[in-house]
Amino acid sequence: MDPLVAAASVIGAGLAVGLGAIGPGVGQGTASGQAVAGIARQPEAEGKIRATLLLTLAFMESLTIYGLVIALVLLFANPFA
Amino acid sequence: MFDFDATLPLMAIQFVLLTFLLNAVLFKPILKIIDERDEYVRTNQADAKAYLAETEALAKQYEQELADSRRQAQAMIAAAQAEAKETVAKQIADAQAQAQQQREQSQKALDEQKRDAFKSLEQQVDSLSQGILDKLLGSQAA
Amino acid sequence: MKMLSLLHFDVLPLAKLEVGHHFYWHLGGLKLHGQVFLTSWVVIGLLLVASLLATRNPQRVPQGLQNLMEYVFEFIRDIAKAQLGEKEYRAWLPFVGTLFLFIFVSNWSGALLPWRVIEIPGGELAAPTGDINTTVALALLTSLAYFYAGFKKRGLGYFAKYVEPTPILLPIAILEDFTKPLSLSFRLFGNILADELVVAVLVLLVPLFIPLPVMMLGLFTSAIQALVFATLAAAYIHEALEGHGEEEAH
Repeated sequence: MDPLVAAASVIGAGLAVGLGAIGPGVGQGTASGQAVAGIARQPEAEGKIRATLLLTLAFMESLTIYGLVIALVLLFANPFA
Repeated sequence: MFDFDATLPLMAIQFVLLTFLLNAVLFKPILKIIDERDEYVRTNQADAKAYLAETEALAKQYEQELADSRRQAQAMIAAAQAEAKETVAKQIADAQAQAQQQREQSQKALDEQKRDAFKSLEQQVDSLSQGILDKLLGSQAA
Repeated sequence: MKMLSLLHFDVLPLAKLEVGHHFYWHLGGLKLHGQVFLTSWVVIGLLLVASLLATRNPQRVPQGLQNLMEYVFEFIRDIAKAQLGEKEYRAWLPFVGTLFLFIFVSNWSGALLPWRVIEIPGGELAAPTGDINTTVALALLTSLAYFYAGFKKRGLGYFAKYVEPTPILLPIAILEDFTKPLSLSFRLFGNILADELVVAVLVLLVPLFIPLPVMMLGLFTSAIQALVFATLAAAYIHEALEGHGEEEAH
Protein backbone atom coordinates (compact mmCIF):
# COMPACT_ATOMS: atom_id res chain seq x y z
CA MET A 1 0.00 0.00 0.00
CA ASP A 2 1.04 3.53 -0.66
CA PRO A 3 2.50 4.83 2.64
CA LEU A 4 0.82 8.17 2.07
CA VAL A 5 -2.59 6.50 1.83
CA ALA A 6 -1.82 4.43 4.91
CA ALA A 7 -0.82 7.51 6.91
CA ALA A 8 -3.84 9.47 5.73
CA SER A 9 -6.10 6.55 6.58
CA VAL A 10 -4.79 6.25 10.10
CA ILE A 11 -5.08 10.01 10.69
CA GLY A 12 -8.54 9.97 9.18
CA ALA A 13 -9.58 7.07 11.38
CA GLY A 14 -8.41 8.87 14.50
CA LEU A 15 -10.20 12.05 13.47
CA ALA A 16 -13.37 10.15 12.63
CA VAL A 17 -13.64 8.70 16.13
CA GLY A 18 -12.35 11.78 17.93
CA LEU A 19 -14.49 14.36 16.17
CA GLY A 20 -17.45 12.01 16.12
CA ALA A 21 -17.29 11.75 19.88
CA ILE A 22 -17.63 15.50 20.49
CA GLY A 23 -21.24 16.00 19.51
CA PRO A 24 -22.67 12.93 21.20
CA GLY A 25 -20.57 13.73 24.28
CA VAL A 26 -22.15 17.16 24.58
CA GLY A 27 -25.56 15.70 23.83
CA GLN A 28 -25.25 12.91 26.36
CA GLY A 29 -24.09 15.33 29.01
CA THR A 30 -27.03 17.64 28.38
CA ALA A 31 -29.50 14.78 28.34
CA SER A 32 -28.13 13.28 31.56
CA GLY A 33 -28.14 16.67 33.28
CA GLN A 34 -31.74 17.25 32.28
CA ALA A 35 -32.64 13.77 33.45
CA VAL A 36 -31.04 14.40 36.86
CA ALA A 37 -32.90 17.70 37.10
CA GLY A 38 -36.09 15.89 36.21
CA ILE A 39 -35.48 13.25 38.86
CA ALA A 40 -34.71 15.92 41.44
CA ARG A 41 -37.94 17.67 40.63
CA GLN A 42 -40.01 14.51 40.44
CA PRO A 43 -38.33 11.64 42.27
CA GLU A 44 -41.34 9.38 41.75
CA ALA A 45 -40.79 9.46 37.96
CA GLU A 46 -37.25 8.12 38.29
CA GLY A 47 -37.88 4.73 36.69
CA LYS A 48 -39.52 6.17 33.61
CA ILE A 49 -36.91 8.88 33.22
CA ARG A 50 -34.09 6.39 33.55
CA ALA A 51 -35.55 4.04 30.93
CA THR A 52 -36.03 6.89 28.45
CA LEU A 53 -32.58 8.26 29.22
CA LEU A 54 -30.89 4.93 28.53
CA LEU A 55 -32.67 4.64 25.20
CA THR A 56 -31.74 8.17 24.14
CA LEU A 57 -28.17 7.67 25.30
CA ALA A 58 -28.00 4.59 23.08
CA PHE A 59 -29.18 6.70 20.14
CA MET A 60 -26.51 9.32 20.76
CA GLU A 61 -23.94 6.63 21.34
CA SER A 62 -24.67 5.24 17.92
CA LEU A 63 -23.53 8.53 16.35
CA THR A 64 -20.08 7.93 17.73
CA ILE A 65 -20.33 4.36 16.58
CA TYR A 66 -20.89 5.58 13.02
CA GLY A 67 -17.59 7.44 13.28
CA LEU A 68 -16.03 4.28 14.64
CA VAL A 69 -17.40 2.28 11.72
CA ILE A 70 -15.80 4.76 9.33
CA ALA A 71 -12.54 4.44 11.25
CA LEU A 72 -12.75 0.67 11.03
CA VAL A 73 -13.42 0.88 7.32
CA LEU A 74 -10.35 3.07 6.89
CA LEU A 75 -8.19 0.74 8.95
CA PHE A 76 -9.39 -2.70 8.01
CA ALA A 77 -11.27 -2.41 4.73
CA ASN A 78 -9.62 0.56 3.10
CA PRO A 79 -11.12 1.05 -0.36
CA PHE A 80 -7.94 2.80 -1.57
CA ALA A 81 -5.50 0.19 -0.35
CA MET B 1 -15.09 -6.66 6.87
CA PHE B 2 -17.73 -5.13 4.63
CA ASP B 3 -17.82 -8.09 2.33
CA PHE B 4 -21.42 -8.78 1.50
CA ASP B 5 -22.11 -12.17 0.05
CA ALA B 6 -24.70 -14.92 0.13
CA THR B 7 -24.60 -14.81 3.93
CA LEU B 8 -26.99 -11.87 3.83
CA PRO B 9 -30.00 -13.39 2.03
CA LEU B 10 -29.53 -16.73 3.74
CA MET B 11 -29.43 -15.05 7.11
CA ALA B 12 -32.61 -13.15 6.23
CA ILE B 13 -34.36 -16.38 5.21
CA GLN B 14 -33.11 -18.05 8.35
CA PHE B 15 -34.42 -15.18 10.44
CA VAL B 16 -37.85 -15.30 8.80
CA LEU B 17 -37.96 -19.03 9.49
CA LEU B 18 -36.98 -18.35 13.08
CA THR B 19 -39.80 -15.82 13.34
CA PHE B 20 -42.37 -18.38 12.27
CA LEU B 21 -40.87 -21.09 14.46
CA LEU B 22 -40.77 -18.86 17.52
CA ASN B 23 -44.29 -17.73 16.83
CA ALA B 24 -45.37 -21.36 16.85
CA VAL B 25 -43.36 -22.58 19.83
CA LEU B 26 -43.08 -19.48 22.01
CA PHE B 27 -45.41 -16.56 21.35
CA LYS B 28 -48.62 -18.42 20.65
CA PRO B 29 -48.34 -20.95 23.51
CA ILE B 30 -47.30 -18.34 26.05
CA LEU B 31 -50.03 -15.99 24.96
CA LYS B 32 -52.45 -18.88 25.37
CA ILE B 33 -51.12 -19.71 28.83
CA ILE B 34 -51.35 -16.10 29.95
CA ASP B 35 -54.85 -15.71 28.54
CA GLU B 36 -55.96 -18.91 30.24
CA ARG B 37 -54.50 -17.74 33.53
CA ASP B 38 -56.23 -14.38 33.16
CA GLU B 39 -59.49 -16.19 32.45
CA TYR B 40 -58.98 -18.43 35.49
CA VAL B 41 -58.22 -15.47 37.73
CA ARG B 42 -61.21 -13.59 36.38
CA THR B 43 -63.63 -16.48 36.98
CA ASN B 44 -62.19 -17.03 40.44
CA GLN B 45 -62.61 -13.38 41.19
CA ALA B 46 -66.20 -13.45 39.96
CA ASP B 47 -66.86 -16.53 42.12
CA ALA B 48 -65.31 -14.84 45.11
CA LYS B 49 -67.44 -11.78 44.50
CA ALA B 50 -70.57 -13.93 44.30
CA TYR B 51 -69.63 -15.67 47.56
CA LEU B 52 -68.97 -12.36 49.21
CA ALA B 53 -72.35 -11.04 48.10
CA GLU B 54 -74.02 -14.20 49.40
CA THR B 55 -72.27 -13.88 52.74
CA GLU B 56 -73.28 -10.29 53.03
CA ALA B 57 -76.88 -11.14 52.25
CA LEU B 58 -76.84 -13.87 54.92
CA ALA B 59 -75.36 -11.51 57.47
CA LYS B 60 -78.00 -8.95 56.64
CA GLN B 61 -80.77 -11.52 56.98
CA TYR B 62 -79.40 -12.65 60.33
CA GLU B 63 -79.29 -9.11 61.59
CA GLN B 64 -82.81 -8.54 60.37
CA GLU B 65 -83.99 -11.61 62.24
CA LEU B 66 -82.13 -10.57 65.33
CA ALA B 67 -83.75 -7.15 65.26
CA ASP B 68 -87.17 -8.74 64.68
CA SER B 69 -86.89 -11.10 67.62
CA ARG B 70 -85.61 -8.31 69.81
CA ARG B 71 -88.60 -6.20 68.89
CA GLN B 72 -90.89 -9.16 69.54
CA ALA B 73 -89.35 -9.75 72.95
CA GLN B 74 -89.81 -6.14 73.84
CA ALA B 75 -93.43 -6.26 72.77
CA MET B 76 -93.96 -9.38 74.91
CA ILE B 77 -92.36 -7.74 77.91
CA ALA B 78 -94.50 -4.67 77.44
CA ALA B 79 -97.63 -6.81 77.15
CA ALA B 80 -96.76 -8.78 80.28
CA GLN B 81 -96.06 -5.60 82.17
CA ALA B 82 -99.37 -4.11 81.07
CA GLU B 83 -101.20 -7.29 82.07
CA ALA B 84 -99.53 -7.34 85.44
CA LYS B 85 -100.39 -3.71 86.00
CA GLU B 86 -103.98 -4.36 85.06
CA THR B 87 -104.22 -7.32 87.40
CA VAL B 88 -102.76 -5.33 90.24
CA ALA B 89 -105.12 -2.46 89.60
CA LYS B 90 -108.07 -4.83 89.46
CA GLN B 91 -107.12 -6.57 92.68
CA ILE B 92 -106.60 -3.27 94.38
CA ALA B 93 -109.98 -2.11 93.18
CA ASP B 94 -111.58 -5.37 94.34
CA ALA B 95 -110.00 -5.09 97.74
CA GLN B 96 -111.06 -1.50 98.02
CA ALA B 97 -114.59 -2.41 97.02
CA GLN B 98 -114.69 -5.24 99.53
CA ALA B 99 -113.33 -3.03 102.27
CA GLN B 100 -115.95 -0.42 101.40
CA GLN B 101 -118.65 -2.99 101.51
CA GLN B 102 -117.51 -4.33 104.86
CA ARG B 103 -117.32 -0.85 106.22
CA GLU B 104 -120.81 -0.15 105.03
CA GLN B 105 -122.11 -3.36 106.54
CA SER B 106 -120.55 -2.67 109.89
CA GLN B 107 -121.85 0.89 109.69
CA LYS B 108 -125.29 -0.45 109.01
CA ALA B 109 -125.07 -2.91 111.91
CA LEU B 110 -123.84 -0.14 114.13
CA ASP B 111 -126.70 2.07 113.07
CA GLU B 112 -129.15 -0.69 113.77
CA GLN B 113 -127.71 -1.35 117.18
CA LYS B 114 -127.76 2.36 117.83
CA ARG B 115 -131.39 2.54 116.81
CA ASP B 116 -132.23 -0.51 119.00
CA ALA B 117 -130.37 1.01 121.85
CA PHE B 118 -132.21 4.29 121.37
CA LYS B 119 -135.47 2.42 121.13
CA SER B 120 -134.94 0.50 124.36
CA LEU B 121 -133.62 3.63 125.94
CA GLU B 122 -136.77 5.46 124.89
CA GLN B 123 -138.90 2.71 126.26
CA GLN B 124 -136.97 2.83 129.48
CA VAL B 125 -137.25 6.62 129.55
CA ASP B 126 -140.94 6.29 128.90
CA SER B 127 -141.42 3.77 131.69
CA LEU B 128 -139.24 5.71 134.04
CA SER B 129 -141.01 8.94 133.35
CA GLN B 130 -144.38 7.11 133.79
CA GLY B 131 -143.08 5.81 137.06
CA ILE B 132 -142.06 9.27 138.11
CA LEU B 133 -145.37 10.60 136.97
CA ASP B 134 -147.19 7.87 138.79
CA LYS B 135 -145.25 8.53 141.88
CA LEU B 136 -145.87 12.22 141.71
CA LEU B 137 -149.41 12.19 140.49
CA GLY B 138 -150.46 8.99 142.12
CA SER B 139 -150.47 10.48 145.52
CA GLN B 140 -152.39 13.44 144.33
CA ALA B 141 -154.75 11.42 142.38
CA ALA B 142 -155.08 9.00 145.01
CA MET C 1 -2.72 -13.38 20.06
CA LYS C 2 -3.60 -11.90 16.76
CA MET C 3 -4.21 -8.42 18.14
CA LEU C 4 -0.54 -8.21 19.02
CA SER C 5 0.14 -7.21 15.48
CA LEU C 6 -1.74 -4.01 16.22
CA LEU C 7 1.52 -2.85 17.70
CA HIS C 8 3.11 -3.07 14.30
CA PHE C 9 2.88 -0.03 12.14
CA ASP C 10 1.82 -2.14 9.25
CA VAL C 11 -1.85 -1.67 10.01
CA LEU C 12 -3.63 -2.94 6.99
CA PRO C 13 -2.21 -6.46 6.78
CA LEU C 14 -3.42 -6.89 10.34
CA ALA C 15 -6.92 -6.29 9.08
CA LYS C 16 -6.77 -9.45 7.04
CA LEU C 17 -5.79 -11.35 10.11
CA GLU C 18 -8.22 -9.86 12.56
CA VAL C 19 -11.41 -8.69 10.99
CA GLY C 20 -11.40 -9.61 7.36
CA HIS C 21 -10.91 -13.31 7.75
CA HIS C 22 -13.84 -15.61 7.39
CA PHE C 23 -14.43 -19.28 7.52
CA TYR C 24 -15.76 -19.56 3.99
CA TRP C 25 -18.24 -22.13 2.89
CA HIS C 26 -18.97 -22.58 -0.76
CA LEU C 27 -22.50 -23.37 -1.76
CA GLY C 28 -22.80 -23.81 -5.51
CA GLY C 29 -20.59 -20.86 -6.39
CA LEU C 30 -21.91 -18.76 -3.51
CA LYS C 31 -19.63 -17.77 -0.67
CA LEU C 32 -20.92 -17.98 2.88
CA HIS C 33 -19.47 -16.88 6.18
CA GLY C 34 -19.48 -20.20 7.95
CA GLN C 35 -18.63 -18.90 11.41
CA VAL C 36 -21.66 -16.58 11.38
CA PHE C 37 -23.96 -19.44 10.52
CA LEU C 38 -22.43 -21.74 13.12
CA THR C 39 -22.92 -19.25 15.93
CA SER C 40 -26.34 -18.19 14.72
CA TRP C 41 -27.42 -21.83 14.70
CA VAL C 42 -26.30 -22.13 18.30
CA VAL C 43 -28.31 -19.01 19.14
CA ILE C 44 -31.36 -20.27 17.28
CA GLY C 45 -31.00 -23.65 18.94
CA LEU C 46 -30.81 -22.03 22.36
CA LEU C 47 -33.94 -20.00 21.68
CA LEU C 48 -35.92 -22.92 20.32
CA VAL C 49 -34.89 -25.31 23.08
CA ALA C 50 -35.67 -22.74 25.77
CA SER C 51 -39.06 -22.05 24.18
CA LEU C 52 -39.92 -25.72 23.83
CA LEU C 53 -38.88 -26.49 27.40
CA ALA C 54 -40.79 -23.50 28.72
CA THR C 55 -44.05 -24.33 26.94
CA ARG C 56 -43.81 -28.12 27.00
CA ASN C 57 -45.65 -28.54 30.27
CA PRO C 58 -47.47 -25.29 30.98
CA GLN C 59 -48.35 -24.70 34.61
CA ARG C 60 -50.94 -22.36 35.98
CA VAL C 61 -48.38 -21.12 38.49
CA PRO C 62 -45.27 -20.65 36.34
CA GLN C 63 -41.97 -21.99 37.59
CA GLY C 64 -38.37 -21.94 36.46
CA LEU C 65 -37.94 -21.63 32.73
CA GLN C 66 -41.61 -21.01 32.06
CA ASN C 67 -41.52 -18.12 34.48
CA LEU C 68 -38.47 -16.66 32.77
CA MET C 69 -39.94 -17.01 29.30
CA GLU C 70 -43.21 -15.48 30.43
CA TYR C 71 -41.31 -12.55 31.86
CA VAL C 72 -39.40 -12.18 28.58
CA PHE C 73 -42.64 -12.45 26.64
CA GLU C 74 -44.32 -9.76 28.69
CA PHE C 75 -41.28 -7.53 28.30
CA ILE C 76 -41.44 -7.93 24.51
CA ARG C 77 -45.18 -7.44 24.51
CA ASP C 78 -44.74 -4.20 26.41
CA ILE C 79 -42.23 -2.97 23.81
CA ALA C 80 -44.57 -3.83 20.96
CA LYS C 81 -47.59 -2.41 22.75
CA ALA C 82 -45.83 0.84 23.61
CA GLN C 83 -44.77 1.41 20.01
CA LEU C 84 -47.58 -0.12 17.97
CA GLY C 85 -50.57 0.45 20.22
CA GLU C 86 -53.10 -1.95 21.66
CA LYS C 87 -54.84 -2.63 18.36
CA GLU C 88 -51.99 -3.43 15.99
CA TYR C 89 -49.38 -4.98 18.19
CA ARG C 90 -50.56 -8.60 18.08
CA ALA C 91 -49.83 -9.08 14.36
CA TRP C 92 -46.29 -7.70 14.67
CA LEU C 93 -45.42 -9.20 18.01
CA PRO C 94 -43.63 -12.26 16.55
CA PHE C 95 -41.44 -10.14 14.30
CA VAL C 96 -40.48 -7.57 16.91
CA GLY C 97 -40.10 -10.24 19.57
CA THR C 98 -37.91 -12.43 17.40
CA LEU C 99 -35.77 -9.43 16.50
CA PHE C 100 -35.24 -8.67 20.16
CA LEU C 101 -34.61 -12.26 21.21
CA PHE C 102 -32.27 -13.08 18.36
CA ILE C 103 -30.21 -9.92 18.73
CA PHE C 104 -30.14 -10.11 22.50
CA VAL C 105 -29.08 -13.74 22.67
CA SER C 106 -26.56 -13.21 19.84
CA ASN C 107 -24.98 -10.22 21.58
CA TRP C 108 -24.78 -11.94 24.91
CA SER C 109 -23.52 -15.16 23.41
CA GLY C 110 -20.66 -13.16 21.92
CA ALA C 111 -19.79 -11.78 25.33
CA LEU C 112 -20.55 -14.77 27.56
CA LEU C 113 -19.78 -17.90 25.54
CA PRO C 114 -16.10 -18.69 25.06
CA TRP C 115 -16.43 -18.94 21.29
CA ARG C 116 -12.78 -18.25 20.63
CA VAL C 117 -11.68 -21.37 22.44
CA ILE C 118 -13.07 -23.39 19.55
CA GLU C 119 -10.62 -23.42 16.69
CA ILE C 120 -12.01 -23.24 13.18
CA PRO C 121 -10.06 -23.07 9.95
CA GLY C 122 -9.99 -19.37 9.15
CA GLY C 123 -11.59 -16.53 11.08
CA GLU C 124 -12.93 -17.00 14.55
CA LEU C 125 -16.31 -17.62 16.12
CA ALA C 126 -17.99 -14.48 17.49
CA ALA C 127 -21.41 -12.99 17.96
CA PRO C 128 -23.47 -13.34 14.76
CA THR C 129 -24.50 -9.70 15.10
CA GLY C 130 -20.85 -8.68 14.83
CA ASP C 131 -21.00 -9.51 11.12
CA ILE C 132 -22.32 -6.82 8.80
CA ASN C 133 -24.26 -9.38 6.76
CA THR C 134 -26.42 -10.34 9.72
CA THR C 135 -27.24 -6.80 10.77
CA VAL C 136 -27.96 -5.68 7.22
CA ALA C 137 -30.19 -8.70 6.75
CA LEU C 138 -32.13 -7.81 9.89
CA ALA C 139 -32.35 -4.14 8.91
CA LEU C 140 -33.55 -4.96 5.39
CA LEU C 141 -36.15 -7.30 6.83
CA THR C 142 -37.32 -4.44 9.02
CA SER C 143 -37.61 -2.23 5.94
CA LEU C 144 -39.59 -4.92 4.15
CA ALA C 145 -41.76 -5.34 7.23
CA TYR C 146 -42.75 -1.70 7.39
CA PHE C 147 -43.35 -1.47 3.66
CA TYR C 148 -45.51 -4.58 3.91
CA ALA C 149 -47.35 -3.14 6.90
CA GLY C 150 -48.01 0.13 5.09
CA PHE C 151 -49.19 -1.52 1.87
CA LYS C 152 -51.35 -4.03 3.65
CA LYS C 153 -53.05 -1.39 5.73
CA ARG C 154 -53.49 1.38 3.20
CA GLY C 155 -52.71 -0.02 -0.24
CA LEU C 156 -51.20 2.45 -2.67
CA GLY C 157 -52.34 5.24 -0.39
CA TYR C 158 -49.20 4.40 1.53
CA PHE C 159 -47.25 6.56 -0.91
CA ALA C 160 -49.32 9.55 0.16
CA LYS C 161 -47.14 9.79 3.23
CA TYR C 162 -44.18 10.76 1.06
CA VAL C 163 -45.83 13.97 -0.10
CA GLU C 164 -48.13 14.53 2.77
CA PRO C 165 -47.13 17.63 4.66
CA THR C 166 -45.61 19.07 1.49
CA PRO C 167 -44.15 17.56 -1.70
CA ILE C 168 -40.98 19.55 -1.10
CA LEU C 169 -39.96 16.97 1.48
CA LEU C 170 -40.30 14.12 -1.03
CA PRO C 171 -36.52 13.63 -1.51
CA ILE C 172 -35.99 13.59 2.24
CA ALA C 173 -38.84 11.12 2.70
CA ILE C 174 -37.32 8.83 0.08
CA LEU C 175 -33.87 9.27 1.58
CA GLU C 176 -35.29 8.26 4.95
CA ASP C 177 -36.18 4.85 3.57
CA PHE C 178 -32.49 4.32 2.88
CA THR C 179 -31.13 5.84 6.05
CA LYS C 180 -33.41 3.80 8.26
CA PRO C 181 -31.93 0.38 7.47
CA LEU C 182 -28.48 1.92 7.16
CA SER C 183 -28.55 3.43 10.62
CA LEU C 184 -30.21 0.35 12.11
CA SER C 185 -27.61 -2.04 10.73
CA PHE C 186 -24.58 0.16 11.37
CA ARG C 187 -25.66 0.96 14.89
CA LEU C 188 -25.92 -2.69 15.85
CA PHE C 189 -22.87 -3.82 13.91
CA GLY C 190 -20.71 -0.95 15.17
CA ASN C 191 -21.71 -1.40 18.79
CA ILE C 192 -21.06 -5.13 18.86
CA LEU C 193 -17.82 -4.92 16.91
CA ALA C 194 -16.60 -1.94 18.95
CA ASP C 195 -17.38 -3.81 22.14
CA GLU C 196 -15.44 -6.85 20.99
CA LEU C 197 -12.49 -4.73 19.82
CA VAL C 198 -12.31 -2.73 23.05
CA VAL C 199 -12.37 -5.90 25.12
CA ALA C 200 -9.74 -7.46 22.85
CA VAL C 201 -7.43 -4.43 23.13
CA LEU C 202 -7.83 -4.30 26.90
CA VAL C 203 -7.19 -8.03 27.21
CA LEU C 204 -4.08 -7.48 25.14
CA LEU C 205 -2.86 -4.73 27.48
CA VAL C 206 -3.90 -6.25 30.82
CA PRO C 207 -5.05 -9.84 30.54
CA LEU C 208 -6.63 -10.21 34.01
CA PHE C 209 -9.49 -8.50 35.89
CA ILE C 210 -9.05 -5.05 34.34
CA PRO C 211 -11.21 -5.83 31.29
CA LEU C 212 -14.06 -7.07 33.52
CA PRO C 213 -15.79 -3.67 33.99
CA VAL C 214 -15.58 -3.06 30.26
CA MET C 215 -17.06 -6.51 29.66
CA MET C 216 -19.92 -5.66 32.02
CA LEU C 217 -20.45 -2.41 30.16
CA GLY C 218 -20.43 -4.42 26.93
CA LEU C 219 -23.15 -6.72 28.26
CA PHE C 220 -25.21 -3.69 29.20
CA THR C 221 -24.68 -1.98 25.84
CA SER C 222 -25.53 -5.06 23.85
CA ALA C 223 -28.74 -5.54 25.81
CA ILE C 224 -29.65 -1.90 25.17
CA GLN C 225 -28.85 -2.30 21.48
CA ALA C 226 -31.20 -5.26 21.21
CA LEU C 227 -33.89 -3.17 22.87
CA VAL C 228 -33.17 -0.22 20.59
CA PHE C 229 -33.32 -2.34 17.44
CA ALA C 230 -36.63 -3.91 18.42
CA THR C 231 -38.09 -0.59 19.56
CA LEU C 232 -37.07 1.21 16.38
CA ALA C 233 -38.38 -1.59 14.18
CA ALA C 234 -41.72 -1.40 15.98
CA ALA C 235 -41.70 2.41 15.71
CA TYR C 236 -41.04 2.27 11.95
CA ILE C 237 -43.85 -0.22 11.45
CA HIS C 238 -46.13 1.98 13.50
CA GLU C 239 -45.17 4.99 11.41
CA ALA C 240 -46.02 3.10 8.22
CA LEU C 241 -49.34 2.02 9.69
CA GLU C 242 -50.30 5.47 10.90
CA GLY C 243 -49.17 7.51 7.92
CA HIS C 244 -46.79 10.43 8.32
CA GLY C 245 -46.27 10.55 12.02
CA GLU C 246 -43.87 11.93 14.53
CA GLU C 247 -40.21 12.21 13.61
CA GLU C 248 -38.26 9.25 14.84
CA ALA C 249 -34.73 9.48 16.09
CA HIS C 250 -32.05 7.81 14.03
